[in-house]
Amino acid sequence: MIIFIEMMNSISAFLDTGGQVLTVIAGVICLMWLLIFERLFFFLKTYNGIKKSVIANWQARADKSSWNAEQIRVAQVSRLTEMLNQNVALIQSLVVLCPLLGLLGTVTGMIQVFDVMAISGSGNARSMASGVSRATIPTMAGMVGSLSGVFVVTWLQRKTKRRTEQLEDSLVLQH
Amino acid sequence: MKSLNRVKQHVSTFLAAVTLTSAAFAANAQEATSLDQLLEQLAQGKVAQTQQNKQREADFMARKSEQDQLLANATNERDNQIKLSTELEANFQNNEIELANRQDALNKRLGELKELFGVLQQVAGDTKSKFQNSVISAQIPGREAFLDEFAQSMGSSSKLASIEEIEKIWFELQREMTESAKVVRFDREVVLADGSKQTATVTRIGNFNLVANNKYLEFISETGSVAELIRQPSGRYLGTAADMTAANPSQGTQQVAFALDPTGGSILSLLVQAPDTQERVDQGGPVGYVILAIGAIGLLIALERFIALFLVGNKVNRQLKTATPSNDNPLGRVLMAKEEYKDVDVETLELKLSERILKEVPQLTSRLTMIKIISVVAPLIGLLGTVTGMINTFQAITLFGTGDPKLMAGGISQALVTTVLGLVVAIPMVFISTILTTRSRGIINILQQQSAGIVAERAEKGA
Repeated sequence: MIIFIEMMNSISAFLDTGGQVLTVIAGVICLMWLLIFERLFFFLKTYNGIKKSVIANWQARADKSSWNAEQIRVAQVSRLTEMLNQNVALIQSLVVLCPLLGLLGTVTGMIQVFDVMAISGSGNARSMASGVSRATIPTMAGMVGSLSGVFVVTWLQRKTKRRTEQLEDSLVLQH
Repeated sequence: MKSLNRVKQHVSTFLAAVTLTSAAFAANAQEATSLDQLLEQLAQGKVAQTQQNKQREADFMARKSEQDQLLANATNERDNQIKLSTELEANFQNNEIELANRQDALNKRLGELKELFGVLQQVAGDTKSKFQNSVISAQIPGREAFLDEFAQSMGSSSKLASIEEIEKIWFELQREMTESAKVVRFDREVVLADGSKQTATVTRIGNFNLVANNKYLEFISETGSVAELIRQPSGRYLGTAADMTAANPSQGTQQVAFALDPTGGSILSLLVQAPDTQERVDQGGPVGYVILAIGAIGLLIALERFIALFLVGNKVNRQLKTATPSNDNPLGRVLMAKEEYKDVDVETLELKLSERILKEVPQLTSRLTMIKIISVVAPLIGLLGTVTGMINTFQAITLFGTGDPKLMAGGISQALVTTVLGLVVAIPMVFISTILTTRSRGIINILQQQSAGIVAERAEKGA
């Protein structure tokens, strides 16, 4: 319990030194990873069940060669692809947003530094320090968040493509 | 000195007398007309001259004793004066020694007290400047006048401090300390933000802050007046000031959370210098307004698209569940092709379907590119503002040098604010654009890849 409280304290201290932008970045990263976990869960659990029932339905069909069958197959594959693709674009846009938000933090931090300079002159480096930490910490956080997402997004996209192809292969048309 | 002057005067009168006698002798010579006459004149003149000389000699002899007398007088007087001067000098020297001895004796008798008075003077000076800036002076005015007088009299003359005065300083210091531990309410004239004066109940929190009417006050030491801060801190802190005002002291001691300024008001007074959001945006200049205008246009488009796509998406979903195609949604309109061309072969039907789909797609994707463009253009315009701001800064440097950072501040804040505005517009636009594109692509997918399948499924079910 004490460890938990200490952890919360250090996190809130970190968020304070980074300023408001860091809070937004934290929110974005949280949302991103929530969506990523949802995707992982779908890929590893839900999708297999759906895929099996779709394949079973197809195997149960008598007619696998007519125009109707072909169109139904295309529609079925498209539906599953859409399911696989859901939120992936959103995750990707969040990955792109992270460094942008970091840049925003940098600039607002710089504004703070210049405010301090205008008030107390350029001689006082210590009073500028909080502005500098507000400029650098969000950049770092944005980079870290973005990097953490980039690999997962690439993996998800590759996986989606692969699964779609596999599904197409398993729904065989007879000619 | 005086005697010397007088001697000089006597000597000069003597010299003047000698010159006058020689002038009288020169006037006796007359113009001669012939050589004989000249000779005669010469002979006569020699006689006259001898006579004159004799008379002068007699005169001189007669006066010599007088001169001697005068000289003796002068010398005498000079000697007197010199004696006097020596005497006075000796006296002065003695006095000096006496004075030093006395001073020494005084110092010896003062002993440690001398240091004490030095410390007293210093403390009085320090305390005065401390009281001037202390918010307690808003409640108890006029404390520093006594201290000022005291420090000055201690510094300038050899006057010693009386016990009353020392005790008064002690009292004042003690009072400052005691008061700084209290939260006190008192009625006082307050200058409001609009410049008018009003008597208000001021709450003083130690020697940190003054609060009245739910607002933070500042104590202006130059005029001794209390004024409302023109720019108040953010709502979170103002709320605690309101709590402080609302707390009722008649109910006994009550605990209220309060955000105090540990510097005694200097942090709060810096707030006035920091610009608010409106002023920040103004610093961005025309470029900033252009970015904001583009952002507003983007938001309006996005809102319109959100509503339209949401409605269409709902209708398409409803269409997927009902068997009869209706005319109010894209999928329905595509499926109606099947009803219209019942007996055509599959090739033609496919053609008709794609025709319908092609008709529907532009409506679903319209204006989405616009949002995408805005999300790209906004940071670019921000960059433009950054560069123009930097140009302004460098112009200021060219004109005034780098000595004053405030002259450069305008350009720098323009540079930074436009960048911020560009990002502030771009970030939501990227997000919105992704959501809208996903949504429209989903509907288009249904039309392009599933509509034929749906037709086929329905045909099989009907068959």
